[in-house]
Amino acid sequence: MGILNLSKLLADVAPQAIKETELKNYFGRKVAIDASMCLYQFLIAVRTEGAQLATADGETTSHLLGTFYRTIRLVENGLKPVYIFDGKPPVLKSGELTKRQGKREEAQKALEKATEAGDAAEMDKFNRRLVKVTKQHAQEAKKLLSLMGIPYIDAPCEAEAQCAAMVIYIRVKAGKVFATATEDMDALTFGSNVLLRRLTFSEARKMPVQEIHLDKVLDGLQLTQKEFIDLCILMGCDYTDSIRGIGPKRAIELVQKHKSIEGILQALDKDKYTAPENWEYEAARELFLNPEIADPESFELKWGEPDEEAMVEFLCKEKQFSEDRVRNGCKKLLKAKSGQVQGRLDGFFQVLSTTPAKRKVDEKKNTPNKRGKAGGGGGKGRGRPK
Amino acid sequence: MFEARLVNSVTFKKVLDAIKDLLNEASFDCSEAGIQLQAMDNSHVSLVSLALRSDGFDKYRCDRNLTMGMNLASMSKIFRCSSNDDTVTIKAQDDADTVTFMFESKKQEKISDYEMKLMNLDQEHLGIPDTDFSCVIKMPAAEFARIVRDLSQFGESIVISCTKEGVKFSTSGDIGSANVKLAQTSNFEKEEEAVIIEMQEPVTLTFACQYLNSFTKATPLANQVQLSMSDNVPLVVEYQIPDLGHLRYYLAPKIEEDEN
Repeated sequence: MGILNLSKLLADVAPQAIKETELKNYFGRKVAIDASMCLYQFLIAVRTEGAQLATADGETTSHLLGTFYRTIRLVENGLKPVYIFDGKPPVLKSGELTKRQGKREEAQKALEKATEAGDAAEMDKFNRRLVKVTKQHAQEAKKLLSLMGIPYIDAPCEAEAQCAAMVIYIRVKAGKVFATATEDMDALTFGSNVLLRRLTFSEARKMPVQEIHLDKVLDGLQLTQKEFIDLCILMGCDYTDSIRGIGPKRAIELVQKHKSIEGILQALDKDKYTAPENWEYEAARELFLNPEIADPESFELKWGEPDEEAMVEFLCKEKQFSEDRVRNGCKKLLKAKSGQVQGRLDGFFQVLSTTPAKRKVDEKKNTPNKRGKAGGGGGKGRGRPK
Repeated sequence: MFEARLVNSVTFKKVLDAIKDLLNEASFDCSEAGIQLQAMDNSHVSLVSLALRSDGFDKYRCDRNLTMGMNLASMSKIFRCSSNDDTVTIKAQDDADTVTFMFESKKQEKISDYEMKLMNLDQEHLGIPDTDFSCVIKMPAAEFARIVRDLSQFGESIVISCTKEGVKFSTSGDIGSANVKLAQTSNFEKEEEAVIIEMQEPVTLTFACQYLNSFTKATPLANQVQLSMSDNVPLVVEYQIPDLGHLRYYLAPKIEEDEN
C-alpha cells in the first residue's frame, strides 16, 4: 500500500519533485516495474461488463491480456521494461497482511449481501476488492514475459526494494535501470532515485506519467534519506504502526525539528500522544535501509526477440486469445527491437545551473517585501534570482 | 524596464514559427546585450538556441536583466493578430508578471496592444562546449528543407554522410530507399545558392526525420543553412537571421544499440 498520503504531502510541500510527462519521452530507458502491482491493476481494470476476462473454462486471463498489451505499448515507445516479482513478504508486514485479510473477509461478506439483494453496482465494487494476485497469475505472467523476450527478476522479498536496488545500482555502474515503476510511494523510501507512476496505465485513460525524483523530494522536504525514512514510518507504512493523532503535516514538522523518531519520542507530550506498544519502528527503519534483496550484479538483463510460435501456442491454444492480435503484437515487438536508438542531449551538454520556477511558497514570502518596497520609496528592488 | 522595438514584426513571427514546433513554452533571457533563449524539447533530444543582438533592434532598452517565461502558442496567437509590415514593440516592467506587445501599422493609423501573462518556468542552463567539427556544410536553406521533406516520406531517419566530394542524405523504409547527393559548388557566382563543404575527416551520422523537419521551419529566416557534424556529437543546424542574430538547433544522433 505504500506510505499513507505521501504523494499528497509531496504535492503540497515539494511540488518541484513531481514532473508529469508523456510516455514517449522515456524512449531508451530501462525501467524496473513492480510486477505484482501491475498484475493487480490488470486484474482490477481489464474487464468487460464488470467481469474479469476468462477462457471458456472460467480461467482468468485479465492479467495476461494486460501484460501483453501494455508491455507492447512500453516497448513500442522505446522503453526497456524489466519486471520484478515479489518474493515472500517481510515478517514485519504480517500485521498489515492480517489487516488486509480482515478487509477481504469483510468484502466477501458484503459481496454475499449484495448478491442476495441483487445490487449490481455494489456487487461489482466488492468483487473488485476481493481481487488477489495468486501464484498462478504470477507464473503465467512470467511465462508470457519470457516468450515475449522481456526479462524478469524474482526478488527474494519486496519487489519495490529490489527495484530500488536496481535503480541505485545505476549510480555505481551505468546502464542497469533508470527508474522504478510502481504506484507504491515506498519505492522512494527504499531509496529509488526516480519513481514513475501511472506507467502501465491504459492509454485510453490519457494520464501523463508522473516522475518523482528522490533528491528533489529530500531537497523540498529538507530532510536526509534517514530522516525521510522516519517520516514515512510516522506517516504510516506497511511494516509497523504509527503514532495515533500525528498526520502528515505534523509528522514533517516533528522530523524537521527532532531529526529522528527517538528525538521525537523524547520531546513528545506523553499524555497527548501515545506511541504504539512494542513499536517496531527501528526494525521498520532497518528494513527500509537494508532490505532483503538479491544482488543486482547477479542479473543479466537481456531483451530478446519474441518467440511467436510459442506465444501463439500459449495464448491462443491455451488461453483463447485471438491469433491475429497475438501475431500482430509480435510484429510490433520485433519492429521496436531492430535498429538504432535515439540519443539524448543530456549526455553531451553539462547543466550549468538550474533556476526552479518560483513557487507559491516563495510568492507568499515575497508579498510583504513588495509592500515594504513600495513604502520605502522605490529602491532598486531585489534582483530576480538568476 | 524592458523595451525592444523591431520595425518588421514579420521577423519575430518567423522566429516563433521556427521554434514553436519543438517547444511549448520557453524563457526569454533579456539583458543589455540582447535577447537569448535556450531550451530543450520535452524528450531532451534537441535543443533550441536563439540569440537576438540588441543592436539589431530599432530601439532596445534593458535596465535590468530579466527572464520572461512565455507560452509560445499564446505568443504566436498574438503575433498572428499583426500584419507583416507592422512595427512591434515588446515591453515589460521590472519584476512584472505580464509582457506587452504593441503593434503599429505602417502609417501609424492603427495601434494595437496585447498583454500576455508570463509563466514561471523551471529552467536548466546548459553549457555547450566549443567543438571543432569534422565537417561543416553550408547549403541553401530551401534545398535542405526540400531534401528532409522528401526523404521523410521513406523512412524515420536520415543518414547524413559527408566526404570531400560532397554530402549524401539517405534513408530507407518499407517501400524502399532514397539517396540525395549534393556536390560542392565549383563556381561561386551566387553565394546564397552555393554548397560549400569544409572537411577535416569524413563523418556519417543518423538523425530522426521528425526533428530535422521541425528545424526546417526556420527556412524563411535565412537563405543559407549551416550543418556542423562530428562523430558522436550532436548535429548543429544554424540559421543566420540577417542583422539580428542567429537560431541554432542541436540534435542528438541515433546510436547503435549495444546489447550490454
